[in-house]
Amino acid sequence: MPKVIVNDIEVDADPKDNCILAARKAGVEIPHYCWHEALSVVASCRMCLVEVGEKKPDGTIAMGPKLVPGCQTPIKEGTVIKTNTPKVKTSQQLTLELLLLNHPLDCSICDQAGECYLQDYTYKYGKAHSRLDEPKLQREDKYHIGEQIALFTDRCVMCTRCVRFTREVAGTAELQVVARGSHEEIDVFPETPCNNKLAGNVVDLCPVGALCSKDFLYKKRVWWLKHADSVCTGCSTGCSIHIDQNEDKVYRLRPRENPLAQGHFMCDEGRFGFKYIHDERRLLSPKLVSSTNGAASSSVVGSSKGAGGAQFADPWKDVLATTRAKIKEAIKTDARGFVAVLSPFMTVEEAYLLSSYLKQLDSRVRLVMGPVPMVGSDDMYPKGPKGEAPEAGRVKFTIRAEKCPNRLGVEAILRHFEGEVISVAQVVAKADATAWYFVGGYQHGWVTESIDRGVAKPSLLIIQDLFPSPLSERADIVLPSGSFAERDGTYINHSGLAQAVHAAIRSPGDARADSRIFMELTERTGLFNATALRKEIGNAIRALSALSVGDLGEHGVKIGVATKEPVLA
Amino acid sequence: MDLYQTLTEMWPSLWPTLAAIGVILAFVPVLGLYMTFIERKLAAYVQDRIGPNRVGPFGLFQAIADGIKIFLKEQIIPDHVYTFIYFVAPTISLMTAMFALVVMPFGPVPVDYQEGFRFVVAPGIDIGILFMFAISSLSAYGIILGGWASNNKYSLYGAIRSCAQFISYEIPLGLSIIGVIAISGSLNLEKIVAAQGGSIWDWNVFWQPLAFIVFFTSALAETNRLPFDLPECEQELVGGFHTEYGGIKFVLFFLAEYTHIVTVSFLTALLFLGGWHFPGLTGPVDGSLGGMLLRTFVLVAKVGGVVAFIMLLRWALPRFRFDQLMGLAWKGLIPLGLINLVLVAIVLTLELPKHLLAGTALLLFVAAVFSSYQLQRSMNQTVNARALNNGVRGVSA
Amino acid sequence: MTTKREKTVKWGEEPKIGWVEAMYLPAVMSGVATAVRHAFSGKPMTRQYPDVEPEIPPNYRGVHRLNRDEAGRVKCVACYMCQTACPANCIEIIAAPAPKDDPHWKDRDKYPATFTIDELRCIYCGMCEEACPVDAIELTSIYDLTGLSREEMVFDKEKLLSVFDKTVQSGKDPVRTNRGVLGPASEEAQSAKQGPPPPGRGRHG
Repeated sequence: MPKVIVNDIEVDADPKDNCILAARKAGVEIPHYCWHEALSVVASCRMCLVEVGEKKPDGTIAMGPKLVPGCQTPIKEGTVIKTNTPKVKTSQQLTLELLLLNHPLDCSICDQAGECYLQDYTYKYGKAHSRLDEPKLQREDKYHIGEQIALFTDRCVMCTRCVRFTREVAGTAELQVVARGSHEEIDVFPETPCNNKLAGNVVDLCPVGALCSKDFLYKKRVWWLKHADSVCTGCSTGCSIHIDQNEDKVYRLRPRENPLAQGHFMCDEGRFGFKYIHDERRLLSPKLVSSTNGAASSSVVGSSKGAGGAQFADPWKDVLATTRAKIKEAIKTDARGFVAVLSPFMTVEEAYLLSSYLKQLDSRVRLVMGPVPMVGSDDMYPKGPKGEAPEAGRVKFTIRAEKCPNRLGVEAILRHFEGEVISVAQVVAKADATAWYFVGGYQHGWVTESIDRGVAKPSLLIIQDLFPSPLSERADIVLPSGSFAERDGTYINHSGLAQAVHAAIRSPGDARADSRIFMELTERTGLFNATALRKEIGNAIRALSALSVGDLGEHGVKIGVATKEPVLA
Repeated sequence: MDLYQTLTEMWPSLWPTLAAIGVILAFVPVLGLYMTFIERKLAAYVQDRIGPNRVGPFGLFQAIADGIKIFLKEQIIPDHVYTFIYFVAPTISLMTAMFALVVMPFGPVPVDYQEGFRFVVAPGIDIGILFMFAISSLSAYGIILGGWASNNKYSLYGAIRSCAQFISYEIPLGLSIIGVIAISGSLNLEKIVAAQGGSIWDWNVFWQPLAFIVFFTSALAETNRLPFDLPECEQELVGGFHTEYGGIKFVLFFLAEYTHIVTVSFLTALLFLGGWHFPGLTGPVDGSLGGMLLRTFVLVAKVGGVVAFIMLLRWALPRFRFDQLMGLAWKGLIPLGLINLVLVAIVLTLELPKHLLAGTALLLFVAAVFSSYQLQRSMNQTVNARALNNGVRGVSA
Repeated sequence: MTTKREKTVKWGEEPKIGWVEAMYLPAVMSGVATAVRHAFSGKPMTRQYPDVEPEIPPNYRGVHRLNRDEAGRVKCVACYMCQTACPANCIEIIAAPAPKDDPHWKDRDKYPATFTIDELRCIYCGMCEEACPVDAIELTSIYDLTGLSREEMVFDKEKLLSVFDKTVQSGKDPVRTNRGVLGPASEEAQSAKQGPPPPGRGRHG
């Protein structure tokens, strides 16, 4: 470990570090625009210019005569980095003044304002005024860059992060720099907009407000957004994300850097795929159907947001007690015929709560795996020139075919309680179930025709789901559950990485997260506490013993769950 | 038949009583309403404002408008009150206040009254002033019951404060008039006034200044007026004992308060300011109509002056803190009242000229304040020194 | 208690009174004298409001208005600064991309699709006016705002613009600020020193 001296602070750095990373270890920030950990180095923005020297073995320090870009300069034993000398400070001021020469300073209408490095660095390192007397260059905004991307050309600082991303990570290379000198602009090749599946990342990469997401454009100022750490449920890659919400409305998802999961980025499918959680068709209040005299009379149990009736009545009050009674009755009648279907969108905790409760009622109750959505095959990046997948070992990002976040976690629970993983299709084929408890939570419709037909007319049908389906139409009990943004718990991704998800928003209407439903249904005392439950699971189930740490931290914990081919529905 | 005969026989002595009662019953509510108006006007002038000026000329009908409004208000009975006591309390309050007026001459009454109209309901009561004090002390009942029945902590606090205040200030009030009574030799109010019938220097205020100060201060406290309005101070207790009262029930409390002010003002005028006497109007009451009206006018003018002074005090002085209030009664007024009493006793026993009292009383007052001030200072020093010693010892130990 | 006094605590001393003051009576009489003096001063401060309207200073903070630019469009660029600054949370803006196809809006990127101020919730502190980077929101000297319902007191964009039209036409409320240079509402001396406000140089209007 080479020792590096940053502003008189001695730190141990990694031999592969550049000056920026080494300084970061000493708690010193070297401002930079063009450098990004996941991209190649171009050293074009000149913001990270620092003084670099060497401490000789005899203790004397020899500083270099010129400022050098910190991003490009490797370190070695005895490297001395100085970021607080007048020379460096003047350089930073001049660089910022030049970067801002033609910048329109339209922060008031810029979506980046609040998380903009131009703002931050100008505040920290820049100076308050410009010496430019000429009129600023004004350039046309480019809304044609991509379906999801707009380019506000005159805000650009030409760091070329976006260009390098499309070339190095996406491999699609749509973006390029056109023209020269002060007329340089980012643009796409004619007729080839930047619409690849990772295109949304250029918006995150852009350190200023030049590249903006059309989806989020002018929707909310970023300082109103509150962030919750979560996991993308789009596919089994399980990208770490931030959920940005305000007043219970999710405005955007942003990738959260996680070297154990996906790295720095996320795909557009996941990024823009959260809209279903605010869908108007969602189930909002629990429903009990009492079938007396053969004629089924459905009654929505008074919504607390309804106009009439008791305004503050709890629509859940009797529902869960009735549900519990009916489950017990059904199990007493035919324990083997009671089938609970667990979805791969449930968290480990939720699967555990339901499974342990049902198995404790009667061990003959069957727990089965719900349909696991699969779409196409794994999509790997960077793409080659003809759109071909990269060679193994050069893969930088993968969008997986398995479009659910927690198949492994639920399977581990099933294996513990059931011994094996039975798919719902197998039970349907056998047609020996008399009572069903379906837990859904899928992003899209999941009730296939075969399930619909196979479930036929059971004595008890409980549906716990986000959206109405053919099954919920004729279910005896419908329990509205919560989406991923409303959940607390653990998801285990394709590689066995257990990551914590945190609830970002409250459920709409009277819907409740599965965890909360199960806590009450299973008559556990207290409120749902993911950390405590994780410890319990870790102690109870050997395969998941890594969960016994409770707090999974920012990056999650690897657990040794055996990976098997998914059971196809 | 018997009844009719009895009534006819009694009629000559009955009608003046009924007339006087009629006068009181007619005037008290009007007086109450117009005193609020006058108080508002006075307050406005003191505060450089104009005051009510919208209803009628100079806003004179404001009082009537207020009266109509308050009579037409909805009767609200809070759920949590003790209904019976809640209703009884304001009536007690007003009743006792008006009862006290029974022995109060509101115009010249000759000491040897025989028959015909007179300016008092019950003339020639030999325990007049005693009766008055006894009855007006009962008004504490109204306040305490009102506060208790309201079942509200602010009201209860108001009632408790009122209770403590009444008990404390009854003592100096009684002490202060003993001197006056001792010199007049009678509890009969008419006789007390008649005793001041000589020159202006016969007025009790001039040779009993200390008693006057003690009496006036205590009387002010008895009426719950600023600066002694702790039972109802808005800033601390919302409205004190009448927080839960509204409409006509509140008006009863309100009228009681103003009746008290009038009573106190009358007492001050009668006991200390020479009653209906004035330079030029000295000597016993003559029967002529002109003389009667003139004397009535003099008395009412004196009462008006005292009322105005009480109202002015409200805007001149800040409210006492409760400990200061208690301190004033027990550490200030009661000792002063005792001093005054002893002085009067000495003068009377040794048959010294009674005008000796005037200067001596004031001198004693100053001396008492000075000595108590010095005493307190030295005591504070002792206490401080003891605390210092204890502190030092505490540190070393 | 009297010996050790913490240095961080400021101890107030009860004012010392001499023995003359301890008699209270002089103080009482001087208080009454003050009251009497005022009672006979004959100079009431009362304003006969509905009969005589007060003169409102030009920097009075009354009902809001949304200013128009030279082209008659709403000046506001929907930056949410006022909403952010508002301590009473009474401003609600929904922004939208400006209709680029309309030549009238060609030079604008973002505009407020809706802009509502709850005049009942507002505390009239003027922070929105301070925060506005384009001098779009201003408070006028309208002080007698009344309404018959709560809904009526929630002003939308059109109503706020109409307040601008009305107040500017009446000439009572000139535009207060101009690109960072204080307008006639501020002290005259200062604007005289700075001369006329320079023309706006920003990109957006």
